[in-house]
Amino acid sequence: MKALNARQTDALTELINIAFGLTAAKLCEISNYKIRLEPPVIAIHPTEALAAELGSFGTGEVASVHQVFGGPFSGNAVLLLNYESAVKLSNLFLEQHLRSQRLDSSTGEILAEVGNMLLSACLGVFGNLLQVRVTFSMARLHLDSLEEFTASISGGELLDAVAITTSFHIREQGIDGRIVIVMDASSLEQLTQAVDRWESSQSSAQV
Amino acid sequence: MSSRILIVDDSSMSRRIVRGILESAGHEVTEAADGMAAMECYSLEKPDLVVLDMVMGGMYGIEVLEKLYEMDEHARVIVATADIQNSTREMAEQAGSRGFLTKPIKKEELLSLVKSVLEERPE
Amino acid sequence: MGSRVLIVDDSSMSRRIVRGILESAGHEVTEAADGMAALERYSLEKHDLVLLDMVMGGMYGIEVLQKLREIDGKARVIVATADVQHSTREMAEQAGSRGFVTKPIRKEELLSAVNSVLEERP
Repeated sequence: MKALNARQTDALTELINIAFGLTAAKLCEISNYKIRLEPPVIAIHPTEALAAELGSFGTGEVASVHQVFGGPFSGNAVLLLNYESAVKLSNLFLEQHLRSQRLDSSTGEILAEVGNMLLSACLGVFGNLLQVRVTFSMARLHLDSLEEFTASISGGELLDAVAITTSFHIREQGIDGRIVIVMDASSLEQLTQAVDRWESSQSSAQV
Repeated sequence: MSSRILIVDDSSMSRRIVRGILESAGHEVTEAADGMAAMECYSLEKPDLVVLDMVMGGMYGIEVLEKLYEMDEHARVIVATADIQNSTREMAEQAGSRGFLTKPIKKEELLSLVKSVLEERPE
Repeated sequence: MGSRVLIVDDSSMSRRIVRGILESAGHEVTEAADGMAALERYSLEKHDLVLLDMVMGGMYGIEVLQKLREIDGKARVIVATADVQHSTREMAEQAGSRGFVTKPIRKEELLSAVNSVLEERP
């Protein structure tokens, strides 16, 4: 797989910062809490890198909301939380007496909807800035072990793929989560070309 | 002014939220969870307005939008979606939507848009 | 009116774009790729204005902002960031920034923020 040069990595990172910045703002809008965002990590070959990245989730189940996306580049966008954070995040949107200690149909539904809004916003920024059209599937919630999740997202064909992850925190509520975007080598190539065009247009527009 | 409004969204949570907002303003609400149900419901009931999500399994929102206008050229459709892309907004406008809201839907924004679309003279 | 501006951003693409905008308006530009380098340059050169990114590895932008104001109570800082939350803007204002622009940076917005901060009385 063609590696990105320094300039491309830089421009891609910039694009991702803008996309995740808007995503954090969207979560802030939905939840009414301040969101702390970490700098994104772009890892090639997710099989090893992703597992290492997600190591801090610990043992136990993880809740993931998946949105498959398509367009000139395609892949899987995921809102990922450990079980505890998933329940806490859903409960933010429920009245006291309706809150649950478990991920059941009502908390699960909320999580899927939150995931839908965040992932669509994130991918929408790619579409708007790169001037391409991104299409989305319905957002679906899964509950797995961390191993099952990592395996599902970096399955056979995706060995040579890229995973872009960022962590966000709602400190006041003790909620930690990730946004993970995975795509294969040919999609990365398409994305890189679109990013190259974006970078040139940004530079020349400023003279 | 109370009207009959059809909500089309595959997320029951979304439908519930929008229903709550519309009913609080005195509107009468019907729901459809996908494109086919939306078309059926529309042809039976001819609601005054449709609030339509763009991303659903089966039929895409844009197809539903197009088919609604094929069925009834005076249909009034507002799009409510998590898709923030400008291209989606343009596509929806070109296909005839009278308004475009992004999720999370804000009560005042929805109600004021519904009011202004209902008050428009039919085209 | 050309002034001396320090750009602090870990993205070389960002620095390049902002440099282009500022130089086209006649300003003299220095760059720093991280917080430590920014503080060093500022204490040596005391620029007329600092343009600071909020999310960098190492030292967070907010810490750099606070330390710049410790070095020089009159330091003029405009914050530039992809983080569009209101709370981030408020945090930056409370820590002493004079302006806030969001990324992607638009030429007119940046130049107008730069002009208005430079025209302010110290």
